[in-house]
Amino acid sequence: MATLKDVKLSVSIAMVHIRSKLRQTIVATVGVAFGIAVFIFMVSFIMGTNNYMMDITFEHSPHLRLYNEPTIAETTILDRKYPDWKNEVHNVRPRDVQLNLKDARQAIQEISQLQEVDAVAGSVKSQVFYRYGSNAINGLVNGIDFDNENRLFNLEEKLVEGSFREMNTIPNSLVMGEGLANRLNLSVGDRLNLTTEAGGTFSIVVIGLFKTGLTDIDRQQSYASLATVQRFLGVPASYITDIQAKLHDMDLAPQMLNKWKKRFGYQGSDWKEDHSTLLEGEALRSMIVYGVAITILLVAGFGIFNILTMMIYEKMKDIAILKAMGFSDTDVRYVFLFQALLIGAFGSVFGLIFGFLIAYAISTMPFESDVMVTLDHLPVSFETVYYIAGFTFGLITTFLAGYFPSRKAAKVDPISILRG
Amino acid sequence: MNILEVNNVDKYFLEPSRFHVLKDITFAIKKGKLVTITGKSGSGKSTLLYLLSTMDTEFSGSIRVDGEELKGKSNRWLSNFRNEHIGFVFQFHYLLPEFTSLHNVMLPALKRGTHDKESIEEKAYGLLKMLDIEDQAVKRSSLLSGGQQQRVAIARSLINDPLLIMCDEPTGNLDSKNTQIAFGIFREIIDKGEQTMIMVTHDEDLADRSDEIIHLEDGRVV
Ligand SMILES: Nc1ncnc2c1ncn2[C@@H]1O[C@H](COP(=O)(O)OP(=O)(O)O)[C@@H](O)[C@H]1O
Ligand SMILES: [Mg+2]
Repeated sequence: MATLKDVKLSVSIAMVHIRSKLRQTIVATVGVAFGIAVFIFMVSFIMGTNNYMMDITFEHSPHLRLYNEPTIAETTILDRKYPDWKNEVHNVRPRDVQLNLKDARQAIQEISQLQEVDAVAGSVKSQVFYRYGSNAINGLVNGIDFDNENRLFNLEEKLVEGSFREMNTIPNSLVMGEGLANRLNLSVGDRLNLTTEAGGTFSIVVIGLFKTGLTDIDRQQSYASLATVQRFLGVPASYITDIQAKLHDMDLAPQMLNKWKKRFGYQGSDWKEDHSTLLEGEALRSMIVYGVAITILLVAGFGIFNILTMMIYEKMKDIAILKAMGFSDTDVRYVFLFQALLIGAFGSVFGLIFGFLIAYAISTMPFESDVMVTLDHLPVSFETVYYIAGFTFGLITTFLAGYFPSRKAAKVDPISILRG
Repeated sequence: MNILEVNNVDKYFLEPSRFHVLKDITFAIKKGKLVTITGKSGSGKSTLLYLLSTMDTEFSGSIRVDGEELKGKSNRWLSNFRNEHIGFVFQFHYLLPEFTSLHNVMLPALKRGTHDKESIEEKAYGLLKMLDIEDQAVKRSSLLSGGQQQRVAIARSLINDPLLIMCDEPTGNLDSKNTQIAFGIFREIIDKGEQTMIMVTHDEDLADRSDEIIHLEDGRVV
């Protein structure tokens, strides 16, 4: 092992080299800094946007959903009658099941008592036709228990006009997505007709408008009280089609879901299944960011590699002299490796600073969007981990870029140089 | 006491074709002597000197410096040994061009690391003064003339008080006045009895003033 003294001496020689090659050193440093800055800027911006999208999506979706689905019976009546035969029945019709959850109120009660659970609410969802004047639009109406639903999804904050709470006091009232209201061309206070799947038509008044930022919801859905929707559907007060819950720790969702499915005999899904596309998209986006950054760093690293290789050719004589004076291969290697690491460290630090400044500048830019309603500035994420990653990338790239040329320098045979 | 023992050394160059450059070389040098190696150009003087300097380990036979066999030693061991015990002046006066003369002289001692920087600097300055170029001490060495550089190189070879000082035509770039000065200094150092010098030269006059002459002819000692 080289002693600290040896390393210091190698470093001081490297410093003399750097000083005499200041221009090339600066160019290489700027190259690294540029790579890191672009990486930081891209990660901050793309991840910021990503996180923002995830946040609004997740705010408006539960961690766990329990529901019932029409299923196809696995055995047919033939199988039951002739169990020894090989029966084949084509086009088996789904069983005529009720979509409601059995004993849903007790289940909700039980779930709300669990300490892992943050909020839970039952609702009735139903496909309906909204009719206003000559417009008829297919959509969804959510019968909700407002207090619990609000705890799940922060509904109050999404209100644009009117009131949610009055849905419990004004009979036959609903709060409609702003997009849907625009499509129907109606506003708060207007009365419209709802046609249910079963064919009943009801008159209903709009008492408020909401906007979540998720187009699918805003252009298709409305909220009414549980009792109102149950009355439209002609079902009893125990009729609930969906139970949605949020947990304190969303990573527990899959295992909780399994427990509940077993316990209550419902079907269900967790957020990971519900948002698999979104989650996969996130992974892809990070891959792109890291891919681009690594490419830029490779180019910068190649620059360092070139500069050092050239430097080593120019310094062949110096290397031979150092060796003749008793500097070991390792000492010589440190001289050049240190130059690479210095370029890497300075480049990385400058890159982090510039990257941060660019990201910060972007985050103060005003930005208005019709889709991202709650956004007034560009979303930028400032996470320490990006900066740690950037610095590590920078050092690793420059280390590799310096490693091979300096190994070459260490292997120089002094005799062949000194012989002249 | 023998500071250097060379026994049955053979060396071949394999490129461009197999060439027997040193043939069964055997000699010994006593401590405190100034020995010159002479011979025609191409007779193998430099090649032999590089073997003795520990930088070239491709040979058969045995070379012992101060009782230590060089054959089979690791690169690190040889580097340290060279740093502490061998001072070298190259045929072409090589200095590190970006360093000052003083810094060039100091480097082997800094590498050795047994003294603090101040005393090394003081000693280096003293050596430059002895060789009469102390006025060039803080100049970048690339700005010096050939003769001045050679004198700095001589100063550098002396900084660690090596057991063996090896010079490959050290006075090749010096005018006759400076050749006399340099040789005078060498003579003075050797006459103190602690150090030994091996000098390749084709200056007959210098060879005559040395204690011993090893004459090479076509790769053999004659
Ligand atoms: N690296 C080498 N490869 C092949 N032949 C070499 C090499 N170096 C020197 N020689 C040859 O070895 C012989 C001795 O060279 P050298 O020791 O430099 O002679 P001197 O110093 O006595 O003039 C010469 O014939 C030279 O051409
Ligand atoms: Mg020669």
